[in-house]
Amino acid sequence: MFGIRLFLIGIVATAIAGGGFYVVKLQKDNAILKANAIKLESAVAEQQTLIENQKKDFKEILDANKKMNELVSVLKKDLDDLDKRFNKKNRDVGKLAIAKTKSIERITNGASALATRCIEIASGSPLTEAEKNATKKSEINTECPSIANPNYVPY
Amino acid sequence: MYHTKDKTHRLAWIIAVPLMLCLLLSGCSGVKTLEIFKTEVEREKLDLKKPTPLELEKLQWIIITSENADEVFKRLEEAGIDPVLFGLTDKDFELLAKNFARIRNQLKITNDLLDKYKEYYEGDLKKENEK
Repeated sequence: MFGIRLFLIGIVATAIAGGGFYVVKLQKDNAILKANAIKLESAVAEQQTLIENQKKDFKEILDANKKMNELVSVLKKDLDDLDKRFNKKNRDVGKLAIAKTKSIERITNGASALATRCIEIASGSPLTEAEKNATKKSEINTECPSIANPNYVPY
Repeated sequence: MYHTKDKTHRLAWIIAVPLMLCLLLSGCSGVKTLEIFKTEVEREKLDLKKPTPLELEKLQWIIITSENADEVFKRLEEAGIDPVLFGLTDKDFELLAKNFARIRNQLKITNDLLDKYKEYYEGDLKKENEK
């Protein structure tokens, strides 16, 4: 009789202890899950920031590429224009120089000064106010308007 | 009978004491979660200064033809300049002009490329220049 009572008390005590342990375990699990949820939320936020930054970077890369391509094409146009100036309507600079020596010398020296300024600008020299504000053909640097006169629109 | 009970007791102690000791020792030495902290340290900026823009000397072109050659050399002598000229034909002059235009274009592209890289990796150049 005493043995059965002791057995039952043992079972009840074990059940209570087990229940207690289970509750403690649940509380611990709950705390871990809460911490995990916070970590996940912050991870999602970090990922979103990362995606935003990547989008910004891609846009910058595309813009930089576009600007470089534009620069290459306008510089090529300047070079083509120079070629045209020498050979426009079968023009022969040599014959012109024989016929109008003084004026061709003056034009050559003027163009040479402009070309020198173009090299200075290409090497990073800042534009003057006159160069920035030039909009007319008579005001521009005819050797390299694309880099010397940003406000000039060919007409 | 008494002898057997005493033996059982002793046997129980022999088993229980080491077992308790083991439990006690292992209970103290819990395995802790290893935490590794990673702190990202940003790479130092190269921050090299851009080369000083060129300031070129102005040069003078003199056109000589068979007709004005004597006059040109005389003018040079009068001005105290050695009567010697390094010549180019009209075709070579064209080529020289085009070569300079190509060098200029390449210089501009390289310079702008450098600016773009600097801007991308070291932040906005305009904002930094304003500071």
